[in-house]
Parts: sequence; C-alpha cells; structure tokens
Amino acid sequence: MERIKYVLDNWGLRKIVPHLLRSVGGFSALRLFSIWEDYYLHVLITSMLQCMECERPPTSFAKMALELARRRRVLDGCRLKAVQPPKRPYPQLLESYFHMLEDVLISRACDLAAKPLEDVIPDEEAAALYQLFVSSDWYSAVRTAIHAGVGTPIRGRALLIGAGTQEPLDYVKACQVLNARCDFAALEVDEKIYRDLERLAAKYGFTAYLGWDSVRETFDVAVATNVLNWATDPSDVFAKARRVAKELLVTQGVVEGMSILFLLTVALRAQRPVSWREVEGLAKQAGWRLEERYAKYPVYIALFR
Amino acid sequence: MSLAARFRCPACGADASVAVTPELLRQAAERGAARVAARCPRGHAVLLTIDQYGYIRSTLPVQEAAQPDCEITDKAPPAARQRLQAILSKGPATDADVLLLEKAKAAGWVICL
Repeated sequence: MERIKYVLDNWGLRKIVPHLLRSVGGFSALRLFSIWEDYYLHVLITSMLQCMECERPPTSFAKMALELARRRRVLDGCRLKAVQPPKRPYPQLLESYFHMLEDVLISRACDLAAKPLEDVIPDEEAAALYQLFVSSDWYSAVRTAIHAGVGTPIRGRALLIGAGTQEPLDYVKACQVLNARCDFAALEVDEKIYRDLERLAAKYGFTAYLGWDSVRETFDVAVATNVLNWATDPSDVFAKARRVAKELLVTQGVVEGMSILFLLTVALRAQRPVSWREVEGLAKQAGWRLEERYAKYPVYIALFR
Repeated sequence: MSLAARFRCPACGADASVAVTPELLRQAAERGAARVAARCPRGHAVLLTIDQYGYIRSTLPVQEAAQPDCEITDKAPPAARQRLQAILSKGPATDADVLLLEKAKAAGWVICL
C-alpha cells in the first residue's frame, strides 16, 4: 500500500525524468536506494549509540539523527530494530553517494555524537566535501535531468537562486540537452562562493549577483534547487523571487521522505528540514499559485506562477 | 581464525579475495565500516570497505598520483581520492574539478610544492 502511495505521489517524475528513472532502474530502484539508506542509517545510529546515551543526546546533530532514525523506523524509542544489509546492490550511479556517507558520517559517528559539528568537520573540509557532493555524477545528473525535463531553459531568462557553483554548470548542460539558448543569471548570498561563481560567470557568459539587493532585472523563471534547507528564512526566498520572476521552479528535498542524506547536508552546514506542505504554504503566502506538482517526496518538485 | 571475502578488481575485473580478520570485523562494528587495502592477482591496488558482517560494500581502485609536485594527504577521505588522483594525473577535466582541487588544497587533502 505504502509503495503504491509513493508511486502515485511521485507520478509526475515519469513525465520529467523518464530517462534518469530508467537509467537507475525505475521506481523499484528508488525503493532499493531507500532501503540502502535505512541500512546506512542503522549502521550510523549503532555506532553513535556506542558513544552516547540515547535518552540524552549531547549534540544537536545527535538529536537530529535519533529523530530521523525514529521517523524511518530504524529506532523504536531507544531500541534499535534489526536491519540486515540489502541483498541487492545499490545502483552503480549512486556509489559515490554511499561512499560519502561512509566517509562523512559513519567513520566519524562517535565524534558526531559527542562533539560540535565544526570540531568534527572544519569549515574548509565542509566546503571541499560540499563541492565533492554537488559535483558528483549522480547529483549533477539529477539536476540536469530535472531542468531538461521541466524545460526550464526554454521558459526564457532564468534566475538560479542560491546557485552555488555547480547549479550553473548543470543548467548549461540542460541547455545543451534541449539545444536551447542558455540565458540565465545566478544569485549567491555567500561571499566566498560568489567569488568562485564570478569566475564561472566570466567564462560562461552569465550574470552573477551577490545578494538579492544587487538583482536589478526581472526574469521569466526563478529556480530554487535545494536552497530552502540552507536558508535562514525560507519565506524570504519565495517573497524575493516573486518580485523578480514570473514563474518559480522549486526542487527541494523534504522532511516527509527525509533520509540519511539530510544528515549529510547538515554535516555540510544545511540549516533545517522543510516539509512539502510548508513549501506550498510559503509559496502561497508569497503570492505564488501552484501550476504543476511533479513529485511530493523525498524530493518535492513543482512549478509555480 | 579468518574468513575470506571475494571481490572483483575494479581496475581489471579479476577475481580476488581478502582475509576478513576478527580485528577487521571489530573495527567495522565500532566505526560502522572498516577499510582494508588489497591487491588483485594482476597487481592492482584496491581499497575495500567491509561492514561488521564481513560483507564487502565497495571496492575502489587505488592509483599513484602522477603529478610529482602534488600529493594527496591522509586527510583526504577515500570517497574523494579516486577523483583527486584522476585530476592530479590527467589534469582537471571540468570546472567542477578545478573547484574541487582548490577546495581540496584549502582543506589539506592535497599538498602541492
């Protein structure tokens, strides 16, 4: 029953990323991916519990990990459920993701349970890990496929919100896939990332903005890809996007299907999870009207007008 | 007593095996996973990740960085090594590689003379 609900809730994915879905092995592979993630979560929690008391998690990361484990039914109260390693391997495309889980979370489980995040993963290392994560083949393939599937480049001039350095590169790939003119600008609020973005902008011929106040034009479409969980105020993103764009494409990992992936992003400095209902509520509040929803969870994908 | 776990070399596809010692299983139980280096019959170095049940979860080829003035340090996580080795030996293939190399240097994963 749960599986049928999952397929129905995410049916729109077939419309926008059929090739990607086929290349990983369809909905059944996504399900297998989720089983592997739960197995890794089980391994992480098992290791963390050797270094802390379940009733008194000493760090906010540990608290978040335990809450996630309960939500994923890996943990019942403080009792670990038995989880066996899946018999089928995970899709090859996702190998680098699981390696990252091992390196960033599992091999540092004890430290993550007991010490502040910044002491376990210093900022410079978090920045390097983040670059490794966003530029991995699978993550880049997902973003490119979504832009190509929704046809963002053919909607006109786009603003990539919280673009970082990888989003513009993936957007350029999507333009090539669609054989469309690549007309976009990229907005970043982090000054360090902006410096890298500026170099890319000069090379690829797009405009780079530092902060919303510097944006002095309007766009056909704004694109917010996994920015809400990094934003200190997600409602601000919707309100400011409303002022400068006619359409808004949101792609966001949400709490309903939240997996160990969220812990990885937290380790790399994400702020907090959001739910798909919260995303739609915030969009509505800012005056956006839902045009089409492609998927609800674990990644919420929708177009607003 | 040690058990042997079989794996396929990621570089050449040859079948090989590695001893799974109680020490390795204990390490895996403590840390969630343990890493061990092995060589396939054709001499390729391979980095294996083994879980607490003795199950091989991943195999990564290990290469020497060819660029003499840069080297990958112990700080670099295994997940980054393969890509960094490729970047150092063949040069950055994409802009994402260029950025990764810069950040890797800042994080102390790569040291260049």
